[in-house]
Amino acid sequence: MARRWQCLEVGCGAVITAGSDDELVEAANAHVGEAHGSYELEEMILAVAEESPEGEGS
Amino acid sequence: MATHAEIRPVEKRFRLHPELMAGPVYRKYEKASRKIWDPKLLDYEQDSADWARMTEGQREGIVTITVRFEGGEQEVTDELLPMLAAAHALGRFDWVMYLATFMVEEARHSEFFNLWHSRVAELDRPEEKARHWPPRDHTVDPSGRFTTGEPVYEGLPKYGKKLTAAVETGDEAAIEGAFVQFATLYCAWIEGVLTMPSYEIVIDTTEMWDVLPTLRLGFKSILGDEGRHITFGTQASRILIEKNPAYEALAHDVIDEYRANAVGMLEYQRNVPGLELEKYQRQKVRHYLNRCREMGIAPDQTLVDQILDPEIDFVVGVEAG
Repeated sequence: MARRWQCLEVGCGAVITAGSDDELVEAANAHVGEAHGSYELEEMILAVAEESPEGEGS
Repeated sequence: MATHAEIRPVEKRFRLHPELMAGPVYRKYEKASRKIWDPKLLDYEQDSADWARMTEGQREGIVTITVRFEGGEQEVTDELLPMLAAAHALGRFDWVMYLATFMVEEARHSEFFNLWHSRVAELDRPEEKARHWPPRDHTVDPSGRFTTGEPVYEGLPKYGKKLTAAVETGDEAAIEGAFVQFATLYCAWIEGVLTMPSYEIVIDTTEMWDVLPTLRLGFKSILGDEGRHITFGTQASRILIEKNPAYEALAHDVIDEYRANAVGMLEYQRNVPGLELEKYQRQKVRHYLNRCREMGIAPDQTLVDQILDPEIDFVVGVEAG
């Protein structure tokens, strides 16, 4: 089952999916770094990561 | 004389069990145990050399933040005990185990800033550091709509006393409600919203100036610890709010009491040329929305709007804890 996290930066809302928690943390931080010049802490991403149906998000 | 069984039945003397050890809070305890770092083992020589070649303005810009981090870390170390006592009173042994690591980590952060000040900025005595702590009398909203408070130095002792009093009553609902307020203020609001831009500003600034790699490393190491602290507080609050939804209002009340400290712009945002000012306001909103999501509570949209409102223009001191 894929893992899913949504960015809550103002005006963003991007949904990031990945195959594992480690990959999700990496992909979420790549998004926050590239799109917002910032970062999210690993624990904060994992605290709200959800299981995701296949094929959802980016 | 009471029998052994009357003092505590033998099977109740074992607090750890497989379900507890598979839970998210115990996992934080395990992770904290693996992630220990020692400020005394860091190399401060490059920072010291950078400090000598930095301008007076650059040095003052940095040290006005770091002294407040040192004070803030010592305050949060010293004010954490009520949360541990409450976890004990609620019979949540995984919370007790994790909070033991939490307190050690806050002490380690205190030690890091103390060492950095001594070895890099050559500040050893409290009165030397105090000279770099700007007065708060210029952090006033000129419109009079907002009044900034002292969430670290006034709020934590106040809500800590309230939690301690609740623990002494033994009333479970009172302890839970006071725990939600203390954890919301300490973990969600101070650590999880107000302090977060300060870390990023220091990291951004030292990267922009290409100086102070050990200060940056220390901040990043502290952030790794803080991620566990913040999400412990928000997850524990979520558990209690799911048990009794009336606690959500208590969380909003304590945030509302110190809302101006997020609405205002950090004075450091104004003092360092080259920083994108709006980035840190948007960041505060993102962190606030993230904390609400972790706690399972509805965000206050008026607070979001006020943080982002360019018409609201006043500065607040750095919160660090």
